[in-house]
Amino acid sequence: MSEVVNKDTVPDEAQKDYVEDGKNKLLVKCKFCGSKILEKKTAKYVAIEKELPLMQQDANRKDGEVQKEMINEYFHVENMYIFENIGFTHPVDNYKYLICADCDAGPVGYYELDSKHSYVALSRIVQS
Amino acid sequence: MAKTYDYLFKLLLIGDSGVGKTSILFRFSEDAFNISFISTIGIDFKIRTIDLDGKKVKLQIWDTAGQERFRTITTAYYRGSMGIMLVYDVTNEKSFENIKNWIRNIEENASADVEKMILGNKCDLDSKRQVSKERGEQLAIEYQIKFVETSAKDSLNVEYAFFTLARDIKAKMEKKQEASNPAPRTGGHQLRANEQQRKPTSWLSRCSLL
Repeated sequence: MSEVVNKDTVPDEAQKDYVEDGKNKLLVKCKFCGSKILEKKTAKYVAIEKELPLMQQDANRKDGEVQKEMINEYFHVENMYIFENIGFTHPVDNYKYLICADCDAGPVGYYELDSKHSYVALSRIVQS
Repeated sequence: MAKTYDYLFKLLLIGDSGVGKTSILFRFSEDAFNISFISTIGIDFKIRTIDLDGKKVKLQIWDTAGQERFRTITTAYYRGSMGIMLVYDVTNEKSFENIKNWIRNIEENASADVEKMILGNKCDLDSKRQVSKERGEQLAIEYQIKFVETSAKDSLNVEYAFFTLARDIKAKMEKKQEASNPAPRTGGHQLRANEQQRKPTSWLSRCSLL
C-alpha cells in the first residue's frame, strides 16, 4: 500500500464502522428526534473542511454575527431527491442550510446552489 | 444512479398571510437552536418521503409565505406544482373569503389539472372562531375540492391532509397514464415535477367547478 493516503476517499480506522464502499453504511437520522434523513448507502463519505453555523448560537453574540465551527466530515448527496426527509432554508449567499424535516433542528448540513449538491455533517446527525 | 422512488410530487401551501402556512411546514419549536439561527433565515421547502399503497412517494412541499402580500403568487411558484393546499384561518373571516381569490389566482396561473385541497387551520382556537366548519365544508362542495380542519399547533390532521392530497394526485396520474398509454411500459413510472406543463385555463374547461 502506498504511503500517500488519499484523505478524500479512504476512510481511516475510526470511520470504518459507518463507511462501506465509500458510502454511509447505516441509516442517517436526526440527533434530536430520530427522523430518517438518508437511507443506507445513498451518500458518499467525503473529508472536506467546511464551516457551518452552530446549531445553538450564543444569545449574547453581537448583532448580525453568526457563530460557526469547522467541520471536516460530510456525507455528499448528489441529488436532493435522494433524501428521505429534509428541510431547506432560504438561500444565504450560495447556500441553503439543511434542517431536520420533523423537528427543524439545524443546520445539519448545506446545499450548494451552483452545484445543486448537498452535504450532511457527520457530527450533526446520528447513524444506526 | 437508479431512482429510489416511484413518484415525486411538488406541493404548494397558499393562503393569506398569518393563516399558519409556515407553521404547517415549519414547527418553530421552542428549542433554542431554532429561535437563534434557522428561524431567522426561514424555510424554503421540505422533502418528505411517504408510503402510498406500497409506492414510495417523495413530496417536495413549498411554503409561499412572504409572497402573499403581492396578492398573487408568481407563476414561477406554480410551475410544475401538482398539488395545492389552500389554507385559511378559522379565526379570521377575511382569510376565508379570500380563498375564492386564491382559487382564481390558481386557475389563472397553475396547471389546469392541479389537485387542490382546502385547510381550515387553527381549529384549536375554538373560542376565537369566526368561520364554522360547516361554511368550510360548503365552500369545498361549491368548488368540488376536499376539505379538512387542521391545527398545525397540535399537529391535528396535517399529515392526513398531505396523504390525502398525494393520494389524489397519484390516482389522477395513474388514470391519465392508463388513458394515454393503455399498454403500460415496463420499468415502472418515472414522473418528474417539471415534466408537467402549464396549460392555459379556459373558462369552459373549468365550468364543472364553477
